[in-house]
Amino acid sequence: MVDLLKKFVTSVAKESRIILRDRQAMILFFVMPVLFVLILSLALRDAFGDRPGATFPMLVVDQDGGEVGKTVVSAFASNPHFRVDRAGHPAPDQTALERSILDGRYRFVVIVPSGATGQAKRRVEEIASNIPPDLLKDPAVQVRMLADPTLRTDYRSIVGTALAGILRGEEMRLSGAQIRKNLRAMGYALELPADLTRSRIFAEVLDEPLQGGRLHAIPSAVQQNAPAWTLLAMFFLTVPLSVSFIKEREQGSLSRLQTMSVPGWVVLGGKTTPYFVINQIQMVSILLVSVYVLPLLGGDRLDPGHAPLALALLGAAASLAAIGFGIAVAMYSRTAEQAASFSSATVMIMAAMGGILVPKAVMPPLMQHLATLSPLAWGLDGFLDVFVRGGGVPEVLPEALGLLAFSLLCHGVAILRYHNRL
Amino acid sequence: MNNTPCPVSGRFDPAAPPAIEAENLCKTFKGAPRAALDSVTLKIPRGVIFGMLGPNGAGKTTLLSILCGLLKPSSGRVRVDGKDITAQASSVKRLLGVVPQEPAIYPTLTARENLEYFGRMQGITGERLQARVRECLRLGELKEVENQRVEHFSGGFKRRLNLVIGLIHEPQILILDEPTVAIDPHSRFFIHQRLRELHAKGVSIVMSTHQMDEAEQLCHHIAIINQGKIVTQGTLEALLESQRSGSIQVQMEQPPPPSFQGVLQRIPGVLEAYLDERCFLVTTDDPAQTAAAVLDAVKLTGIPLVSLNFGTASLEQVFLSLTEHPLEQ
Repeated sequence: MVDLLKKFVTSVAKESRIILRDRQAMILFFVMPVLFVLILSLALRDAFGDRPGATFPMLVVDQDGGEVGKTVVSAFASNPHFRVDRAGHPAPDQTALERSILDGRYRFVVIVPSGATGQAKRRVEEIASNIPPDLLKDPAVQVRMLADPTLRTDYRSIVGTALAGILRGEEMRLSGAQIRKNLRAMGYALELPADLTRSRIFAEVLDEPLQGGRLHAIPSAVQQNAPAWTLLAMFFLTVPLSVSFIKEREQGSLSRLQTMSVPGWVVLGGKTTPYFVINQIQMVSILLVSVYVLPLLGGDRLDPGHAPLALALLGAAASLAAIGFGIAVAMYSRTAEQAASFSSATVMIMAAMGGILVPKAVMPPLMQHLATLSPLAWGLDGFLDVFVRGGGVPEVLPEALGLLAFSLLCHGVAILRYHNRL
Repeated sequence: MNNTPCPVSGRFDPAAPPAIEAENLCKTFKGAPRAALDSVTLKIPRGVIFGMLGPNGAGKTTLLSILCGLLKPSSGRVRVDGKDITAQASSVKRLLGVVPQEPAIYPTLTARENLEYFGRMQGITGERLQARVRECLRLGELKEVENQRVEHFSGGFKRRLNLVIGLIHEPQILILDEPTVAIDPHSRFFIHQRLRELHAKGVSIVMSTHQMDEAEQLCHHIAIINQGKIVTQGTLEALLESQRSGSIQVQMEQPPPPSFQGVLQRIPGVLEAYLDERCFLVTTDDPAQTAAAVLDAVKLTGIPLVSLNFGTASLEQVFLSLTEHPLEQ
């Protein structure tokens, strides 16, 4: 047994030396995935939902300067999802406002027209005096909203609804004041509060996202990208692994080893162990960059959760699954080209299906169910258990076991093929 | 260049079990129209250089792959030094050194790293490993390039390294698959010399080749394989003796038309006729009378004669007569 272990260590050392001498592969293994996570997490920062601290830059052009303008400014300013600037005097013209959106300084511009408060009060007074709508002197006050054309329609709609809500509140406040004024004029000495909207009739809606409910767990960009690209990088290692295996077969060195007293597990293990180590380094480096480097570049910091063991378990299981897949591809491919094209195409399909390229949370229900067929989806769900849902080892165990079962299956068919070739 | 076959090694012992013994080996690959090996029975004595001759596709590589444990036969058995290759695979493998046709080495490792790796995989460690690596580098005359990556080596250097890797564990039996195919004459001579040295030390050598001169120079025992069957085997002398019919070799100034082969075969007394570009060879029981008729046939073509030789059968003629197959170049 000691002799076999020595052979195993020798095999691992040989393979590591070969890998380390391939500089291009080193860049592909380590630099590319980290760069992808950095770039995509920064680029898609606002495209993912529920991002704590996410802010939309907004400009409020308060040409009114009265109560309506102030109410709009203060309502948006009190919402943590907006960073509100107020346009100075003189107010920028339409072209300047459009440019401020197109050059990316603001995602929204809200324009409260000059004299909005006075116009609103006059209109309320006329309405309260029972003047028919078509005879009202003042038209409805027109508040305008310009929006970034690249912004998702649902975001624009939400902001539009929020603005309409603010204006309805203002309508109610002005209507209350007018009613109070009319009652006084009619001799009623009712003690109505100065502002009817001061006390809420309906409490704030209680937002209670379910814990552990998969369909509701929408990750932030970094929560999605860090594990997704870790898994993709791990599975993409099947390409160099299978190619290297076939090259060794074509060069005849694999056959030469088969003529020696070297068991198959030493050959296979010696070849795959360095790739397992590379996978773990990939995972740790992507996590470290997501936790420490991404915030320095303006991205969100990844909260790594409180279950390092769960992460280690997932990392090991995903790596074994990827390696098993790579070995199986190598065993059933005739040429290195065939192995490279088959493994890269299959990994991309598994990634697309498994929510790596497009988050599972935004997929329609049918695709979410189909995603469960992809081992990459199992891995991603496991990581999201830790990063988004605060899970630990018990929560990631089903996904880890799934990956290990996939690995066993792949290794099994590969070993079967290895012996059948003899 | 030495043109005589190696003498049988001083350690040759006819009473000892054969180095390798194969009985009724059959191998059929899935989907193949015919068996790659068909009831091959072979006895390779100890301490000899055993040449396995055959045209491409004859089954040489399949047979060697089975003899070194790389392939399982469909039926039949192989014994190496009296041990069953399947039941006692581990101890058999220690006796064998295998040198594949194409250099089976790691291109991004150095010559020394390749030797150390395969040495360790053969179970050699420590000072013995270092001594063996030094010896193999000396044998392969690779000392000066020991720390260079193999990917920068010439084809000849790769062959040398390929050879000495097969020797790292001092095998008793060395199996080589076409060790000198497609290499320059210097490297070929170098490999021949090393094989002679190994043979002199008592190593049994089994090599496949389709180069007749190589087999005649190196091998004491020969087996000719064709279409998966052993058509003859024995010592070189015995084979030549068995085919000692006369031969006439003729070289002409230009290639005759292809129909000339038919003309030759119709000459009374001609046993076989082989045409190859400007040369042809006929075998006959009556060289004197046949030669006159052959010369007449040449004259009729109008192509000037360059040379005419009489002789006894060469290994090439034996091969041709037994395989009825043109030789590879």
